[in-house]
Amino acid sequence: MTRAALAAALLAAAPAERAHTPEIDYALHCQGCHLADGRATPGSVPALAGTVARLARTPGGREYMGRVPGVAQAPLADAELALLLTWVVKRFGGPDDFAPYTPDEVGRLRAQPLVDVAAARRALLENDVR
Amino acid sequence: MSTIDRWFVRLTRSLARRSSRRSVLAQLAGVLVGSAALPLLPVARAFGASPVPGEPHPSTPSGDPGSCDYWRHCAIDGFLCACCGGSQNTCPPGTEMSSITWIGTCKNPADGKEYVISYNDCCGQSVCGRCNCTRTEGEKPVYITPKNNDALWCFGTKSRAVQCSVAVVLGVATESS
Repeated sequence: MTRAALAAALLAAAPAERAHTPEIDYALHCQGCHLADGRATPGSVPALAGTVARLARTPGGREYMGRVPGVAQAPLADAELALLLTWVVKRFGGPDDFAPYTPDEVGRLRAQPLVDVAAARRALLENDVR
Repeated sequence: MSTIDRWFVRLTRSLARRSSRRSVLAQLAGVLVGSAALPLLPVARAFGASPVPGEPHPSTPSGDPGSCDYWRHCAIDGFLCACCGGSQNTCPPGTEMSSITWIGTCKNPADGKEYVISYNDCCGQSVCGRCNCTRTEGEKPVYITPKNNDALWCFGTKSRAVQCSVAVVLGVATESS
């Protein structure tokens, strides 16, 4: 066996990182800051509870949620991240007819992470008149 | 004297003839000490403990919570609260557990399962200084802050002074099917 073939065989045999359920991915990648119930930690972390539902109904909110740093930089593949984001929207009261995120869409959004998150959130929620 | 009284007198006198006061006291003491010690036996304790949600079953061997090598400390960085007046789950008295934390997984060798572990800092007192551990399984560089354990995690607490860290088991890291 050549060295390259051996390396290829070893790579193929190496266990891939196993995928978790969206609920566990939330615990591993979101809950540390956003807490299990998504409530805010004043001065440190904005709330998911209440905010996600509003963003999911606001034009531009869907894209915003795919571009926030915690989402864009999460060490997850696009497919897992799409499942997790969709789960978060449902978990925190998004509309029943919210279309699930697709891996391609998430890949596109996370490639353009937000720089000024607070300003983007403020602009979206101020425009939301509901 | 009634028949029952006469029978009881005969019984106690014959018992008194056959046994010394000391032996009765010794046997009584044995029964008392033995029954008091019974709940301390490990078998009795394992059956007596009730399962904590998310935690491994109480009958699973767990190891030493005061050791850096303890299975659930696979990514802990700091002083173990179990050595500082708290436990692997609880902060020492006088400190406040930070709700913001960093979360990873550790494999419990006793049952082969991966568990979700939350490493919470206990805040409000100066550093404990005992049982300092630095383990890094699954840790990412400091520029990926949510996955880094070098950072001080006393956020949202009254004080930012950190005393020690706990490793709270949140549940089994269920895999997608």
